[in-house]
Amino acid sequence: MTITLSHYLVLAAALFVIGLVGVFIRRNAITILMCIELMLNAVNLTFIAFASHMNAVDGLIFVFFVITVAAAEVAVGLAIVIALFRNRDTVNLDELNLMRW
Amino acid sequence: MPMQNVLTWMIFAPVAGAAVVLLLPRGRDELVRWISLLATAVPLALAFWVYANFDRTSPGLQFVEHYAWIPAFNIEYFLGLDGVSAPMFLLTTLIAFLALVASWGIKEGVKGYFCLYLLLEAGMLGVFAALDFFLFFIFWEVSLLPMYFLIGIWGGPEREYAAIKFFLYTLFGSVLILLAMLALYFANEPHTFDMTKLIAANKQYGIAFQLLVFIALYIGFAIKVPVFPFHTWLPDAHVEAPTPISVILAGILLKMGPYGMLRVSWPMLPEALKVYAYPLAIFALINIVYGALVAMAQRDFKTLVAYSSISHMGFVLLGMCAIGPQGLSQAGVNGAILQMFNHGTVTAMLFLLVGVLYDRAHHRVIEDFGGLGVQMPVYAGVATVAFFAALGLPGLSSFISEALVLIGAFPAYRTLTIIAAVGIIITAGYWLWTLQRVFLGPLNPKYATLPEINGRELVTLVPLGALVLFLGVYPMPVLDLIRASADQLIALVGPLP
Amino acid sequence: MPDPNWSQALRTVAPELTLTIVALIVLVLDLVAGRGRKGALAAIAVVGTLLALGWSVSLWGERLVAYGGMVVADNYSLFFNIAFLAITVLTILLSTSYLRREEADLSEYYVLLLFCTLGMMLMAKGLDLIVIFLGLEILSISNYVLAGFLRTRLQSNESALKYFLLGSFSSAFFLYGIALIYGTTGSTNLGRIAQALQANRDPGPLFQVGMALLLVGFAFKVASVPFHMWTPDAYEGAPTPITAYMSVGPKAAAFAAFLRVFSQPLAAMQGEWAVVLWVLAALTMTVGNVVAIAQPNIKRMLAYSSIAHAGYLLVPMVASGELGTSSLLFYVLAYAFTTLGAFAVVILLSRKGEAGYEIAGYAGLGYTHPVLALAMTLFMLSLGGIPPTAGFVAKFYIFSAAVKAGYIWLTVIGVLTSAVSLYYYLRIVVLMYMREPAEESSAATLTAGPLVTLAIAAFAVLLMGLFPGSIFTLAQSSVFGL
Repeated sequence: MTITLSHYLVLAAALFVIGLVGVFIRRNAITILMCIELMLNAVNLTFIAFASHMNAVDGLIFVFFVITVAAAEVAVGLAIVIALFRNRDTVNLDELNLMRW
Repeated sequence: MPMQNVLTWMIFAPVAGAAVVLLLPRGRDELVRWISLLATAVPLALAFWVYANFDRTSPGLQFVEHYAWIPAFNIEYFLGLDGVSAPMFLLTTLIAFLALVASWGIKEGVKGYFCLYLLLEAGMLGVFAALDFFLFFIFWEVSLLPMYFLIGIWGGPEREYAAIKFFLYTLFGSVLILLAMLALYFANEPHTFDMTKLIAANKQYGIAFQLLVFIALYIGFAIKVPVFPFHTWLPDAHVEAPTPISVILAGILLKMGPYGMLRVSWPMLPEALKVYAYPLAIFALINIVYGALVAMAQRDFKTLVAYSSISHMGFVLLGMCAIGPQGLSQAGVNGAILQMFNHGTVTAMLFLLVGVLYDRAHHRVIEDFGGLGVQMPVYAGVATVAFFAALGLPGLSSFISEALVLIGAFPAYRTLTIIAAVGIIITAGYWLWTLQRVFLGPLNPKYATLPEINGRELVTLVPLGALVLFLGVYPMPVLDLIRASADQLIALVGPLP
Repeated sequence: MPDPNWSQALRTVAPELTLTIVALIVLVLDLVAGRGRKGALAAIAVVGTLLALGWSVSLWGERLVAYGGMVVADNYSLFFNIAFLAITVLTILLSTSYLRREEADLSEYYVLLLFCTLGMMLMAKGLDLIVIFLGLEILSISNYVLAGFLRTRLQSNESALKYFLLGSFSSAFFLYGIALIYGTTGSTNLGRIAQALQANRDPGPLFQVGMALLLVGFAFKVASVPFHMWTPDAYEGAPTPITAYMSVGPKAAAFAAFLRVFSQPLAAMQGEWAVVLWVLAALTMTVGNVVAIAQPNIKRMLAYSSIAHAGYLLVPMVASGELGTSSLLFYVLAYAFTTLGAFAVVILLSRKGEAGYEIAGYAGLGYTHPVLALAMTLFMLSLGGIPPTAGFVAKFYIFSAAVKAGYIWLTVIGVLTSAVSLYYYLRIVVLMYMREPAEESSAATLTAGPLVTLAIAAFAVLLMGLFPGSIFTLAQSSVFGL
């Protein structure tokens, strides 16, 4: 059996959905962050699959952009989580409820 | 002062006055009052000039001002008067002036009060003079806000509730008017808000469109009138509002409703009017009878006057929708417009009179009074004129307009008109009963020291009383203004199919 | 790919370059400027922003495309950019005294603000989904930090975390949408996507999914219901000037890109996405306004109000066409000035920490601070859409667009919900004028920056309300491709 474009796309979609579900069911900020990373990497996989399928190079370049952006996001995200942990001693989202209506 | 822009001068003199008042330093209350008086005197003085120069034979628009305002939307600054708007426009300047004199007793937040008051006057004048629908709507809304604050800040104990109720009701009406306005705007090619063009194109609107837009407009205007069942804001607003604001509200603001119908709905959507005329007449009748019956049951003097307003506005509506095979009734339309004017003067007097009593006794429960005729003979005399005018005594102004309405409506709706005439009897009943309870009988010893009506209060009442007496004998000075334009309106609506 | 015409390319992004350089200068000067001298850096940031604004104005009327068709300077993007830069200037004016009071007077704040604006400008100028994505990320990452800028304050931490998780989550959707569109059309360039769609009328289900994901991404970014979950928390906890900024700037930027992407290349599928937007608009207007009624905190109330206004901004998107687009532009401007003005009052009345944001604290303001109360009344009326204010004309404009396009029911919902909204806007006015001042009367510290913002906003709101003609003309000449 050969591996076709569809296989890659389905794998990517599965990863994306796993990440998506994780965001909704996990309450730990770090885990959610990891789930979001999983979603972004699913997108990267999609880009690569399309790019190699079309024999185009631009899709691969986009992946570099995405990786860079994701890295920057993680840096800022972890910094925010650490700042929060110092003040609150928790990264559980359910306990972050200072503001409610 | 260039007279071709007389309407603009009249509308914006109060705005200028408001700006000056706003800039005055704190604590100059007396100066604020005099400047405001001047700012309302200017439109009043110009109103005499307009009245003198009004061409009574022409049905068309006069004193027209026409400038581009927002060209991107084809919105214009378009003002003008005709026989439909002129009586109310001129009356507005008078009532606003007199109610300002009656406002002399406002002691708290003087600056804010007079500022809002002047803006309110500008808004009302603008509504009656605007001939661009968008401009009309802007003035309509502009008159809404100061009213909200004037009731909400200077009103009685339940003022907040009354103000927000007034605001939300009227706003709901505005929403419908806005939608109808947009519908009419886009129904024309090129898109326009120019009322004269919207009217000229009234043949090209489809019947379904007319029926829908008419209902939206009718509810929007009916809330202002107010027509049963949209009336519940009115007694609250009146009871809580300070006296001068009640005067403005009943004297002018309520008339914006029927005026809007005559200016917009009737000529623009005549086919829908012909379909709806009968139900509208029934609503008018409900207003007359229901208003009178509820008024009769009131213990509070001011609520009584408020409900009597609902009843009297029913006559305006009845006259307006009196439509027979030949079209709208001439007597009905003339009577309706005259009734708007007359009710403005009479109800203004009534609210002023209630205010005079309230300032002295600090309550308004009718049963508590009695025998005041001895204690305050001048007051009783003026009040009697107003009461008799309100109940439609021949020789006083309301009789003529209500009679015209009934004459106009009779051929169209016989049964309804007869019932409406019965409404007049109820009206007579509660006014006479009130007269008896307040002025006749033994004097309540609590009020043995009530001072007589003073000079300032007489200044506000006497001109109105004179107008009521004079127009009761000779209504032509006002009817002359109306007639040509009323005929034109009747021709625009045309006969029943 | 090297651009043969370097001077044109530079001119196209000159405002962005200016802003970047100024931001870097501020960053470097921070080393030499001692504590308590950060006011000078704010001044430099203002001057730099005004410079970029001047550049943008000078490009008006041209249509410059550069970098292989990835960036465009047309009237549409310039209109938004000028608005963004004006918003930034006003935000900086709101910030200086606030930061000093909160003891967070660091120059990084201004640097991040400028980078954030840079991202917004790129979003409006992007002709390629990747450029739009990069602009979005520059904006978002700076904004996460700004939201958490008061790092010792719990609310600010929480706001930043929630905003961050929400933002990166939605970025993933956005990006996945781009990937699928790239895969099905072979390009991320808006022009080439349009060509591909023209060549192939039925691009297949994968493309539809991509479009839907892109739409969800944008809906998150503009905080449309039901994608608004954490937005109120993020807005409430952020430093107040940043709340003001977030509720106008990034939202406007998201709309700039949203509108360009959906009405240019995806115009052919208008029938499909307009239905979705219709539902989103109706939901957003209704939920935003209804929930706002119950809010006791003014920041949170304004947060919900900003959600509701996103709903109003979706209305002209549904209507589309020339009138729809130009009315959206007008609405953005009117909304931005009104909201910034309202926040100027909020900032003037707030005190150190989280104090002074209770709506009940506005009681009697009409007697203690008549000018502030008058201005607040003006802004509340404008937000509620009462003449003679900018908000009324803007609402009138978008509803005309909707009526013209035949969306009567959407207009009815919009007009009715705006009547509902008046209830909570007027509540502020009622409190200010119809109640006695509270025991601990909220003494405002009148500082120059917010007062200047207030004056500019009030002037703009009145001007756009009374004489909207020239802004209309500007908005109409900014409609792209027509």
